[in-house]
Amino acid sequence: MTSRSLRILVLSLAGIACSLPSFAAGAKEACGSCHPENRVETEPSVHLAEGVTCVSCHGGDPESLRVETAHRGDFRPLTNRLQSPAMCAQCHSDLAKMRPYNLPIDQYAIYLTSQHGNAVSAGDPRAAVCSDCHGFHDVRKTTDPLNPVHSANVTATCAGCHADRGLMAKYDIDPDVVAEYRSSVHARVLLDERNSAAPDCTSCHGSHGPTPPGVGDIDKICGSCHTKTRQAFLDGPHNQAMLDAGLPECASCHSNHAIRRFEVAEIESLCADCHGEGSEQAALGAKFTNLIESTREELVEADGLITQAQRVPLNVEDHIGRLEEGRTFLTEAFPQIHSVSLDAVERVTRRSRSIGSEIQHELYTRLDRRVAHATLAVFWFYLLMTVAILWRYRQKLAAAKNEETT
Amino acid sequence: MSQHPKRLLDWLSRRLNLTEVFSLLTSYGFFYTEIDSRKPLAEALEEALEKPVPSYSNWPRVLGLIVLVLMTVEILTGGLLALYYLPTPQSAHASVGVILQDVGFGALIHQAHFWGAQMLIAVLLLRLGRFFVQRVYRRPRELVWVFGILLLLVSLQADLTGRMLPWTTTSYWSSVRAIEVLATIPVISNIMLFFTGTSGAFLSEVTLIRGYILHIVVLPLLAIVLIYFHFSTVRRVGLSGEASTAGMPGRRAFRAHLASLAIIFVLLLGVLITLAVLAPEPFEIKADPFSTPPGIDPPWYLLAPFGLLEMTADFLPRWIVGLVMLLATTALVALPFLSRSQTDPGASRRPLLWALAVAMVAVWVVLTLYGARMA
Repeated sequence: MTSRSLRILVLSLAGIACSLPSFAAGAKEACGSCHPENRVETEPSVHLAEGVTCVSCHGGDPESLRVETAHRGDFRPLTNRLQSPAMCAQCHSDLAKMRPYNLPIDQYAIYLTSQHGNAVSAGDPRAAVCSDCHGFHDVRKTTDPLNPVHSANVTATCAGCHADRGLMAKYDIDPDVVAEYRSSVHARVLLDERNSAAPDCTSCHGSHGPTPPGVGDIDKICGSCHTKTRQAFLDGPHNQAMLDAGLPECASCHSNHAIRRFEVAEIESLCADCHGEGSEQAALGAKFTNLIESTREELVEADGLITQAQRVPLNVEDHIGRLEEGRTFLTEAFPQIHSVSLDAVERVTRRSRSIGSEIQHELYTRLDRRVAHATLAVFWFYLLMTVAILWRYRQKLAAAKNEETT
Repeated sequence: MSQHPKRLLDWLSRRLNLTEVFSLLTSYGFFYTEIDSRKPLAEALEEALEKPVPSYSNWPRVLGLIVLVLMTVEILTGGLLALYYLPTPQSAHASVGVILQDVGFGALIHQAHFWGAQMLIAVLLLRLGRFFVQRVYRRPRELVWVFGILLLLVSLQADLTGRMLPWTTTSYWSSVRAIEVLATIPVISNIMLFFTGTSGAFLSEVTLIRGYILHIVVLPLLAIVLIYFHFSTVRRVGLSGEASTAGMPGRRAFRAHLASLAIIFVLLLGVLITLAVLAPEPFEIKADPFSTPPGIDPPWYLLAPFGLLEMTADFLPRWIVGLVMLLATTALVALPFLSRSQTDPGASRRPLLWALAVAMVAVWVVLTLYGARMA
């Protein structure tokens, strides 16, 4: 072999090497060479980070750069939505695969029991599949704020279908539920105050097997957070009466999606809505309002005195602790109202009010400046006496001087 | 029995020049004339008391005496407070809390120290007003005016540093505001920023300890030196106004003078304690350098420059306002040398100077109101 033909061989080998950029970059899959936008989409996904690549879902030959050879064998384009849940379940229902990530494996089983799952099984392509909520190429961890099922985003994700009037009309589902939820106290805390402790859609309905809770179960759903309120409600007469009448328990007053938090002043009119104006029950509601507002006033007054005393300063550590205790008792009054028992509400408001008035009494005594003012008056009396004596002495000197000169 | 003090005095006077020690009092105005320190004390006093007494205690002149009394009150109460105060950001607030809550009469002394300072500044301003109206800055009393202004500046500085010490929210942030205003003054600000130990955006432990040393050592010493110089000037050029040694000769007049002094002292003490009891300065929570509370003013005497800075913030660089402050202060100190009437003591009142003074006070008041609204 001549040196010339050797040189040609080396150069052409180098040229082949350069024409395989993805191999040169060290990537094992060539899919991105033809599908760059999909490669970019996949970059942030938790799947890629854990070694789940294109072929894990799509199959085919990842090393081939030719469509004919790349898209062969077990290649799946996954354009059929109806097949996709089963596809995800291949891994996500596999205990051996999910165990290292401490992920549950029952999502697919639960999904199949839901309305979404039933519709998909029945061949309805419009029903929600995994990727409608979780995304597909860019699946993220649920704790990632960019994940569509993160608590900050899930309302919008559900709204994608459930606020779609055309789509919801086909299933006879109320399309206003999302707007109603958005007006609720829960949405205000979750979405406006960005407090992720507040409930989103899935907190009450579930996620993979979304089911609306029925009459008789609502108190259990609400009670999973509002435990004391539920207990008081079950202790009171309303629970049984509503079950007998077929009324939804909590939702009868608070509504289901547009959940309302009532002002203390509204209790009477709320009672009157069912029991009628001027009824005994409406009067009881007015009593609750009075009890709570008067207790609140006591605590506000005590708080003001504490601030005043701090500026003197007086030591009010103990009073601050007791005020907090008083506030806790007042907070307990709100669940107790749901038992509609005057005794129960009075028990806690009385304790709260007595703490407030105790603090006030002690601080009024300690802030009382009457003794200081009286002492000041006595002080001025002696002071002016001293001035008078000095003045007289001065006058005497002046008089003596006048005598001298005359 | 009455022999014992006399024998003790004899014993002392053979070992110590008591007359010289006593003559110190004349340097601070507590005794009206020079004392011949070569003679024994009794003899020197005898001689001094026979000299005619200047009409010390006529009313306008009482302001200087009040300054002296208040300065003494500040030094005494300040000395007591310093027994408990701890000048570090960690413990300053708590130690003031201890003074206010646990130390006997601590709150009264703390409040008297605060109100004494406010009264001192007010009286120094009134005194300068009297100097201006009665034209005490004219020859040969140029230095009386200059020392008066310098004493005011030293007192303001003492008030400024004193405000910072309790390390409460208001004291901390109003000091930050004050430093922001003062940092605009060219040249002076560089010296001042050394003492703050920061760029002015927050106060550190260095700021606190330097402020404390200024407050308890440097500024009181400066004030004492200025008062000493003031009385030296007065002894050299005499008191202003009517013939100062008219009437009232001898011992009896001096006793009357002492009685007036005592009356002033007692009344002043009464006013001070009344203010301390009826209008105590509130003790706010401890300062947090990472959270600025709303509505914090600089100290009241810096509201006008602060207002000017706020007013001109959009179209003037800050250093120009600082330069204006510096020039105005310099002009105030140099007033005796700027005013031509000093060469002619008998010249009639100058309407231009008066108009200027009234205009300046009016501008000051307007800027103060503006500054108070902006803060």
